[in-house]
Amino acid sequence: MPTPFKWLDERVDLVGVRRALLDRKMPGGLTWWHTLGSATLTVFAVQVVTGIILAMYYSPSPDHAYDSIRYLQDQVVSGSVLRGIHHWGASAMVVLVVAHMIRVFVMGAYKYPREINWLLGVVLLFIVLGFGFTGYLLPWDQKAYWATQVGTNIAGTTPLIGGVLVKLLRGGSQLGAATLARFFALHVLLLPFMLFIVVLMHLAIVVRQGIAPRTKALEEDAPVHTSDAAYPAFYKKAYDRSKGAGVPFWPDITTKDVVVGAVIVLLLLQLARSFGAGLEPPADPTDSTYVPRPEWYFLPFFQLLKLVPGSMESAVAVGIPTVLVALMLLLPFFDRKSTRSFRKRPVARVALMVLGGSCVLLIGASMSEDSAAAVTPETGRPLTSVQRAGRALYAAQGCGSCHAIGGKGGGSKEDAPPLTEIGLKHSGAWIHSFLENPLRFHAQTKMPSFGPPTLSHQEIEEMTRYLVTLRGPNGDLRKPEFVDTFPEPPKTKEK
Amino acid sequence: MDESSPTPTTPPEEEAPDAGTIDRRGFLHKVSTVSAGITALAVGIPAAAAFVSPALPQKPLDDWIKVADDVALLDVGEPVRVNFVKTDQDAWIETRTLNSVWLFTEDGEKFKAYNAKCTHLGCSYVHDKEKKAFFCPCHRGQFDIKTGKVLDGPPPRGLDELQVEIRDSAVYVKYRDFRLGIAEQVVA
Repeated sequence: MPTPFKWLDERVDLVGVRRALLDRKMPGGLTWWHTLGSATLTVFAVQVVTGIILAMYYSPSPDHAYDSIRYLQDQVVSGSVLRGIHHWGASAMVVLVVAHMIRVFVMGAYKYPREINWLLGVVLLFIVLGFGFTGYLLPWDQKAYWATQVGTNIAGTTPLIGGVLVKLLRGGSQLGAATLARFFALHVLLLPFMLFIVVLMHLAIVVRQGIAPRTKALEEDAPVHTSDAAYPAFYKKAYDRSKGAGVPFWPDITTKDVVVGAVIVLLLLQLARSFGAGLEPPADPTDSTYVPRPEWYFLPFFQLLKLVPGSMESAVAVGIPTVLVALMLLLPFFDRKSTRSFRKRPVARVALMVLGGSCVLLIGASMSEDSAAAVTPETGRPLTSVQRAGRALYAAQGCGSCHAIGGKGGGSKEDAPPLTEIGLKHSGAWIHSFLENPLRFHAQTKMPSFGPPTLSHQEIEEMTRYLVTLRGPNGDLRKPEFVDTFPEPPKTKEK
Repeated sequence: MDESSPTPTTPPEEEAPDAGTIDRRGFLHKVSTVSAGITALAVGIPAAAAFVSPALPQKPLDDWIKVADDVALLDVGEPVRVNFVKTDQDAWIETRTLNSVWLFTEDGEKFKAYNAKCTHLGCSYVHDKEKKAFFCPCHRGQFDIKTGKVLDGPPPRGLDELQVEIRDSAVYVKYRDFRLGIAEQVVA
């Protein structure tokens, strides 16, 4: 009686499969950086598993999409964690794909014979970004709706075909039911299918060619260009040499991959549990005050559009991505030097620094603009740290329960004046002394005194510095007209 | 890797190469298995939990509906018809239906609530003040106000009485619809 393994092996050659896939020798000395590809694959598997469950609780229609997400978050056991993993997993995919590409770029692994796999990798990058763009709309909250509004409008600035493109993306001229159904179909049917096929090709080529060895192994006595006639023969010899001194794929190489995968998945779980995925109020197409934000990995592009004048917009919005894609696709064909070590490739170094640096700068600029804006929703002006401290005091002292700023707060005492434009009506000096002792100004006032011991002079000054920034909408364009009337100074202080 | 496996072409089954290699491979196997297990559990547990979530014990729905804010607003000895909106929840889809009950109290303490549909064919019956009974205009069915029993006409059973509860002097009923035109009371 043969064992089940033997029985199966006789029929489907399990040992052969194992030899071909797991026992194959790999060049030694692979780094932790070499795990980025498999880490991406792990997160993709996580996205598939969590995505399938999310789809069970999702309705791709504007009437029900938002409610179904709420239901998932509130009613389904571990629904919010699952959605959190999927949300953070999406960011992780982008981070890992880009990191993987940088690793391949730095190690020159896109050069002969791996040009095709580099091309497939570029295709995978854009499939992943497509997932991000389509998935962002699905919750149908404010963020989703407005970011997609902007995203599809950018496509609309394409010369000649812009109008058609917008309609294709939206499934009509307006962002609505057809758009949501379309994005859902792309997100759960077309893109996963495409990703699956291209990943299979990507992996099949990795298995066939073996992973690229350390750069040194391919540089000694190498012909100058990979296009030289002698290069393939040189490559084969050098590669076989480094493989001969190598280790089996399983378990020597795979252990690192599996460990990194587990660490990343645990990190995703932790992010999902601490931060979740967030859900804004339902999409409101009539709300013109909403400031849309794309997902962070689209921010460099988003910020770039702020920096160019309107007449250049379509050139930048369509031109820059097109040029970048073309450069990425053509990279292995115009870079034919056989040098692989990053230290010996100054052009590559500069290119990576410029591209990476500008992305980081643009993301940073966009985020700092956002956080500055978030501090003063009532005036739209960034605050200094002193003014922010004053704002915190304003909140802590409960000023907002009597006074309104920009229509927010106030109400419990109807005679407390709104402070929306206080900075146009009174000078800092007046506000400071009023806060200190309001009774000196109006004997009948209900305004409590904030002078010591309630607040120190320092704190009153902080609050004053905040209050003078309140100038209402477009207040910076208006000239203050102070109506400061000071009371008679108390007699004791007279000379 | 200080030692390569003895015969690279035949994969080592169970027979041992040498102790150091075995330890190392065994260690890597263990690390791999544990890590893969962690990955599978970290995602698998929440995924499985969400999948089986509908089959897990649910906390009972509070389906009491407030039909009157204050018992003091109801006349003693005089039935009153109350309309209310009932919200039905089908997963994330809410459906609202307009329903009615008749409330009746003899002493201001004990309350009766009847489903406002005639048990014959579901018409809305009315309060006939002269006959001091509920009267259904469709087929002349008549019901006793105090007990809901059939007094006259074709209805196959008495009015459908609903559970009533007073909380903080507000009146709540557990609204149910029943199958009509049959003698037994069966929830629809």
